[in-house]
Amino acid sequence: MNNKSIQWLYSELPRLVAQGVLTPAADASLRAHYGPVEPARPARLAMIIFGVLGALLIGAGIILVLAHNWEDLSRPVRAGLSFLPLVLAQGLAAWTLFNRPQSLAWREGAGALLFLMIGASISLVAQTYNISGDLPGFLLTWALLGLPVVYLLGTVVPALLYLWGITEWACHVRWEDGFAAGYWPLAALLLPLLALWLRAGRYQVRPTLLLWGLCVSVTVAAGVTIERVLPGLWIMLYAGLFALLFLAGEFWFAEAEGFWARPLRHFGAAGVLVLAFMLTFEWPWKEIGWHYWYWERFHQPAWHAIPDAVLGSLIPIAAIVLLGMTVRRKTPLGLIFGLAPILAVLGYALASLSGKYAPSAGLFDLYLLVAGLWLLVTGIRINKQGQMNVGLLALTALIVARFFDTDLSFLLRGLVFIALGIAFLVANIVMLRRKGTSHEQA
Amino acid sequence: MNKRNLLLLGFAAVVAAQLAVPAWMIIEREWTLREGRVFKFKTRPVDPADAFRGRYVWLGLEPGVIRVPDVNQWHYEQKAFAVLGTNADGFVTVERLEHEAPAGQAALPVHVGWPDMKKGEVHINWTGLDRYYMAEQKAPAAEEAYRAHSRRTNQNCYVTVRIRGTCALVENLYIENKPIQDWLREHKGK
Repeated sequence: MNNKSIQWLYSELPRLVAQGVLTPAADASLRAHYGPVEPARPARLAMIIFGVLGALLIGAGIILVLAHNWEDLSRPVRAGLSFLPLVLAQGLAAWTLFNRPQSLAWREGAGALLFLMIGASISLVAQTYNISGDLPGFLLTWALLGLPVVYLLGTVVPALLYLWGITEWACHVRWEDGFAAGYWPLAALLLPLLALWLRAGRYQVRPTLLLWGLCVSVTVAAGVTIERVLPGLWIMLYAGLFALLFLAGEFWFAEAEGFWARPLRHFGAAGVLVLAFMLTFEWPWKEIGWHYWYWERFHQPAWHAIPDAVLGSLIPIAAIVLLGMTVRRKTPLGLIFGLAPILAVLGYALASLSGKYAPSAGLFDLYLLVAGLWLLVTGIRINKQGQMNVGLLALTALIVARFFDTDLSFLLRGLVFIALGIAFLVANIVMLRRKGTSHEQA
Repeated sequence: MNKRNLLLLGFAAVVAAQLAVPAWMIIEREWTLREGRVFKFKTRPVDPADAFRGRYVWLGLEPGVIRVPDVNQWHYEQKAFAVLGTNADGFVTVERLEHEAPAGQAALPVHVGWPDMKKGEVHINWTGLDRYYMAEQKAPAAEEAYRAHSRRTNQNCYVTVRIRGTCALVENLYIENKPIQDWLREHKGK
């Protein structure tokens, strides 16, 4: 059980004992079972946030001041000064590591500053010697030099900066028509740390933040690391990826409370819905499959397409395996979101074999309709306003999109929009009222 | 070895690696500045602000188009080596494009922009030699002067580039045969 639930239980116990529901002995054994709760310490959290913000601002400030370029200084002086921010940040990190190893605020702040100053120092040398070009090389060097900081200080902000660095690197390599699959082993370098944090407590702030970062980063990277020789591969890859994220969140992080505490689940669900919405149009299904193989535009050696095969098959398969496990658990929501990769494969096969786009798009029209209705109805039933609204939003998006495809009159379209708006308002008001009454009753 | 010493050792290794990268960048360039050969490149004509590296003049080195016998051998973004020569005025010419760095001849790594199959020419980008950094307040003026003097009809802009092996760096930017700093000082307020 998580901290919040235990706190709630402890707040209930005295009343239950007073009313004779529980004996004092049962009260004591419950407390012994769950142990003491660590009270949230907002002051400490604020210190960490301000420490990191301060470090990031100072770091950015130093970069800007140095970018000002003091021309009056001689080249050797400027070359020497290039080391100054780096050496200062290293000194601060060393002091933190040996004198304040317990303070997360100091560690996060010093780690973030050191990470930024590595980039500042290299940039400064580049400026002094008019070195330009090779942005990917710069980003990769920076990220790799910063990675040990993540491990030495055990900090999440430098880990997020590292993720940003390698993602940006992959994008630039892709942009220059290069081979960006190196992103995956680079990202895997963070896994030992993530595993360590998850073991220590999977709902703590650091692993949760890192998981949010990983969700965003992996989503971007999945798109830029495939070579696009097989048109439409992205459909199955992304359907598999988002379903995998959602199901992993359902499986291993089910006890977290609140939106931000469940990155995999919420990112995955949003991904599935947005992707399903896109797939209700006909454009993603046009000219896909083996008949449109792009071999000619592919200048690189054939083995560069290996990541396509690995990612395009492994991710959807992993998602489908998790779906199989979900079927046994009988969680309908997992079933709905987990179905996306199977439908994507089906749609892909339909579109590429028949050359027709409408059946595949129709499949996702139906899927989004069912998913939206399910979210709406179950959201109302279990009193979850967020879920209800997501369902309504999915349905609205679907209806609006199909409306623009057809030649209906403005009047009719207008009336349907008004009806949808009223449905939104009424559903929310009813939900709020119901919550209000349940509070009063309690 | 206890945990503290291990940590200290690890930290020292990381610090050394972090310092080594900028240090090596400096050593390599200083070496080139001292021992490299000087080449003069005519330039073509922008002052984009780069959030990380201050302001600079964006250079377009010439020649930008090379006539080659095997134009279909080249494709977009391919890496190539431009074998350098000089013309009667002392400016750089490109004798030929090679796939590998030729031994014993001055050659610079370039990237193929696009091959013009009809004309048998390859457009190239002089990778890493497209920026000359200036002080923040001087860069726009320098850029303007550079643009005015590097137009097709009025080409009296060039840069000196030091080359040692395949390591090259822009040493200075000249307008009307004067280093840009001197030229700006003379033309201040004009």
